[in-house]
Amino acid sequence: MTEGGYVGVTASSMIMTNKKLKEELESTFKDIQVIVPEDTRLNITAREEDALTILKFLKDRGFNFLTLISCVDWIKENEFELVYIITSYLQKNDEYTQREKLQIILKTRISRTIPESKTVTPIFSNAEVYERELHELFGIKFEGNQRLIPLFLEREYKIPPFRKDFDTREYVKEVFDKIPFV
Amino acid sequence: MRELELYFGPQHLGMVGNFSITLKVEGDRILEAQANPGYLHRGFEKLMEYRTWIQNFPMVCRINVIEPDSMEMVYAMAVEKLAGIEVPERANYIRTIVLELSRVSSHLFGLWAYANMLGFDTVAQWAMYHRDLILDLFEELTGGRVYHIYIWPGGVRRDFPEGFKDKIVNTLHSIGSCIPDYDNTFFNNRLFYERAKGIGKITQKEAKELGATGQVLRATGEKFDIRKVEPYAVYDKVDFEIPTREDGDAYSRIWVIRDEMIESVHMIFKLLDAMPEGSVYNKVPNPFKWKIPKGEAYVRVESSRGELGLYMVSNGEDKPYRVHFRTPSYTHGLVILEKLLKNASIADVGNIMISLYVIAPEIDR
Repeated sequence: MTEGGYVGVTASSMIMTNKKLKEELESTFKDIQVIVPEDTRLNITAREEDALTILKFLKDRGFNFLTLISCVDWIKENEFELVYIITSYLQKNDEYTQREKLQIILKTRISRTIPESKTVTPIFSNAEVYERELHELFGIKFEGNQRLIPLFLEREYKIPPFRKDFDTREYVKEVFDKIPFV
Repeated sequence: MRELELYFGPQHLGMVGNFSITLKVEGDRILEAQANPGYLHRGFEKLMEYRTWIQNFPMVCRINVIEPDSMEMVYAMAVEKLAGIEVPERANYIRTIVLELSRVSSHLFGLWAYANMLGFDTVAQWAMYHRDLILDLFEELTGGRVYHIYIWPGGVRRDFPEGFKDKIVNTLHSIGSCIPDYDNTFFNNRLFYERAKGIGKITQKEAKELGATGQVLRATGEKFDIRKVEPYAVYDKVDFEIPTREDGDAYSRIWVIRDEMIESVHMIFKLLDAMPEGSVYNKVPNPFKWKIPKGEAYVRVESSRGELGLYMVSNGEDKPYRVHFRTPSYTHGLVILEKLLKNASIADVGNIMISLYVIAPEIDR
């Protein structure tokens, strides 16, 4: 097996891998909910403070590709949901196994009033730019990320623009109606 | 030597679209680079939350101007997954053919940009002309040259018109017959070799750490391709190779693009032969009253630039609750570009950027 490989599990039996990973996760972490919606997916819901250790745990088992960090604004519950999508690159270069099909979605919730989370850049270095994006568009502060500088926006916004309480149409009227036609 | 700050783009000949880089230079050496996106987008992910599932299509295809079909495909796949819609077999074949055609057209556009940047104007014009032939095919099939809005949830918008198969074959033959010319003038040209060899080199380990996909990763020897890893449409029913190179530099990346184009053309011929008859569209509910059950989905396809993903959340309404695209240029243009530009010379900025195959609209949100 290559480095960080999933030793002892034949890649062909996907359901086995899924179940074994689920068991392992449930025995290692408390307060964790693991669902297998289909053979190639694994959804984990965990506490925010565990997210970093779970990501480390998964990376040690060969899930070495952080595909995306996303955020969903659940305004009614007054919470942000951080979504980490993790898969793996090929285990052997000339072979496609069931293993690479497995996508893990890790979800954690943080408070909307004080939106703060720990950075995952020590584990996945490409997380930096995703965290920059979420910092700018949702106003989430990632503790430990040294480079939370502006990415897309050119103006200051009272409410970060991707939050649900930011009304794009109102904003457009407010800002651009004042500019006279040439 | 004095340290200077140099603004490269957005109005610059060596720049791909609305995108700029701030360079910190000392003489000709780049000490530090900072990519600045944000010049052209309008918060499309946010706007999609205001529109119904079908109304979003005109916006989706504008995310990647050069290759709108894989964008439509990934959006349609996400909607189908959330709503549990099946796609007819013939529609899957048509989708695959359209996606491969658009890969060829996108690669020709990429070749135009790269050859133009190196000063191979003749080759660039050929590539643009050949791309135009494929756009003619798209015009006949979909009514639009650039934005097609052809792939829908449930299938494709209409079947192939009469005689369309032969037109595809003829067009691809006339493009394919020029490959020796391309090779003699450009790919086997010493000037291309001298100018691209060793430029923007990245190792496989670094590429994986930074989240590279597509040509950037395949040029380092890894055969990672979503079409093989997690086949969608009918990619599991057609036989094709994943071209790779070992060196991870600009030279390798451009060769991978060339080989992929040829592989795609072969694939289209095979698909046209194997295409079944039947309907191309499963009816979906009235778009104005269409509510999709609560849920979330992450789907991915291999666009011409790498892994294109879409994370979509529905809360049971007639509009998406959250849409987030994972575009390949996002990682390549923001993370890998900044890394490769360190210690490069100013003359190589365009070379590195275009060989990474970055397209600016994909980066912006």
